[in-house]
Amino acid sequence: MLEAVTALGSVFFDPYLLFLIFATTIIGIVIGVLPGLGATTGAALLLPFTLTMEPVHAIAVLATIYVAATFAGSITAILINTPGTSAAAATTFDGFPLAQRGEAGRALGVAVMSSTFGGVASVIVLCFAAPLLARVAYEFRPPEYFALTIFGLSMLASISAGGAIKNLMGGVFGVWLSTIGAERVTAIERFMFGNYELYEGLGFVPVMIGLFAMSELLVQSKVANNAVEFVKMKAVQLPSREDYKKIWKTVLRSSGIGTFIGILPAEGATVASMIGYSEAKRWSKNKEEFGKGSIEGIAGAESANNAATGGAMVPTMVLGIPGSGTTAIILVGLMVHGLRPGPYLFTEQVNSVYQIFGSMLAANIMFLLMGLYAAKIFARISLVPINLLWPIVFALSVIGAYALNSSLLDVWIALIFGVIGFFARRFGFAVAPIAVGLILGKMVEVNLQNSLKMFNGEWWLIFTQPLAVFFLILAFLGLCGPQIFAMYKNSRKS
Amino acid sequence: MSVKTQIVPIFLTAVSFSIIYLALQLDLSPPMIVGDSMQPRSFPIFLMVLNLILTGALALQFYRNPPKDQEPILRITWLTMALMVLFYALTVSIDMFVGISVVMFLMSLIWGQRSILIAAANAIITPFLVFLLFDIVLRIRFPRGLITNWYYG
Repeated sequence: MLEAVTALGSVFFDPYLLFLIFATTIIGIVIGVLPGLGATTGAALLLPFTLTMEPVHAIAVLATIYVAATFAGSITAILINTPGTSAAAATTFDGFPLAQRGEAGRALGVAVMSSTFGGVASVIVLCFAAPLLARVAYEFRPPEYFALTIFGLSMLASISAGGAIKNLMGGVFGVWLSTIGAERVTAIERFMFGNYELYEGLGFVPVMIGLFAMSELLVQSKVANNAVEFVKMKAVQLPSREDYKKIWKTVLRSSGIGTFIGILPAEGATVASMIGYSEAKRWSKNKEEFGKGSIEGIAGAESANNAATGGAMVPTMVLGIPGSGTTAIILVGLMVHGLRPGPYLFTEQVNSVYQIFGSMLAANIMFLLMGLYAAKIFARISLVPINLLWPIVFALSVIGAYALNSSLLDVWIALIFGVIGFFARRFGFAVAPIAVGLILGKMVEVNLQNSLKMFNGEWWLIFTQPLAVFFLILAFLGLCGPQIFAMYKNSRKS
Repeated sequence: MSVKTQIVPIFLTAVSFSIIYLALQLDLSPPMIVGDSMQPRSFPIFLMVLNLILTGALALQFYRNPPKDQEPILRITWLTMALMVLFYALTVSIDMFVGISVVMFLMSLIWGQRSILIAAANAIITPFLVFLLFDIVLRIRFPRGLITNWYYG
């Protein structure tokens, strides 16, 4: 425990790491305020830049981008009614009306304070929950891991965009992508079409860059000439004592909701902010203010979405199951830098783990300061013409895709997945399930193979393992729960 | 029920069957190596069967609630995709950085940038800075081409 606390505190005495977090917070906020970019695209674009860094520094950079960009989406949500990230969509409901009333500074103040509280609270939960979960995860054997990954994939059904069937199909497609390359046990080449650069499978980095950055580029081409309405503001105001009295319960509740939703595999900040907002409305005494400029609405959405960042890191680091699109990229970062995600990370790399947690804490404090003193400047960045911004994203994407393996094939993969991602989104399929499926795919197949070996080919013996059965029941409830609940509700009504 | 509303399920069914066909062409591994585990072809086939079941559910969903008609893809989006093809052609035939600069320049103009000077400056300065960053700081060597040959010597 002492070792963990020392490692966490050491972040605040490491000038180089603090400088990195400071610089990355600025980059993260810039990414967050630029509509269309967002935490996931930002992390995908920055991943290649971390290749030569120390593992802890690299993951700290990616985690900071995650935290800072998630917060920064609220700046443009409030000032120009355009959420910088999807997680800030619920903030527009009350943020922009409040800004139109001339209270943009107050709205931003509430957003900054709520985000910081949600973020810090979730990192504290992360520090305690992750090692506890890791202790449980030590007991996991292949059947449990297989069932856990099935549970993770089943949770894709409830990701906000797309719809259950489409999300599951995306997940299955992602798992299939993971089968490309030489099969682990027999070395039989699968779907390589004679291309030996694919022997070890599709690279995660080019696929992520393609699915998130390149496809977004094509989506953004639709709005190339759109104009935005920018609301003027004087300065960011800290919430008054009355404001705090009004929002503290909402902030506490939404921080808890956000952290819990973040912990669920494959759920993320967007779902958290929507639920945080609707719960704030449900419990509020001033329901009629919602949608017209309620500070409780802003606090509910913002504390929940930032709380989800810490929560989402729990399954990512402890189980190797990403809690969101951005944590999928952080997971890739962990693997690229030789930090094997899983329970053993908490015994073999305690220092690294708690330094990463400390970095997230530092990032929350940094964006608090920057949000309070520089939000106005950052908001101006959102006015950069997208006809200059997205060509830059194109350049960073192709060079980033090339950088990891110095392979032109990776560049073509990024371009192809950009087009696939664009058409998938056009027909209502979210791209995050494909990314999560690709990452979990190897885990599913390897653990299924190992389980079969363990039980001499008798697969049904997986159902004799209590923990595996527990996860499979959770997966079933994740898939069928909403339908069963709706049928139960209908039968009670009739 | 029109074919237009079921175009996505039809396409996905075709993809799934194609992958099953490709998986069936994979070599079988001797039982001594596979042991109690499964053949390399089994897992992809299982995934595609699952995909076909989900596609059936999607088709049913589309039958009950036909999806809204899509707006046609804009010319600007097709042109952006064409620029990606142009990037491929320029990279393999001339130089990756020539490809990036040309595509950046044309993309800026297609996306509505009126000043040729600003578009050109962005297309030259950005790749140059990114190249320096990756070459000097990250020590990544880029593929040989017209410019990189001159730079690397």
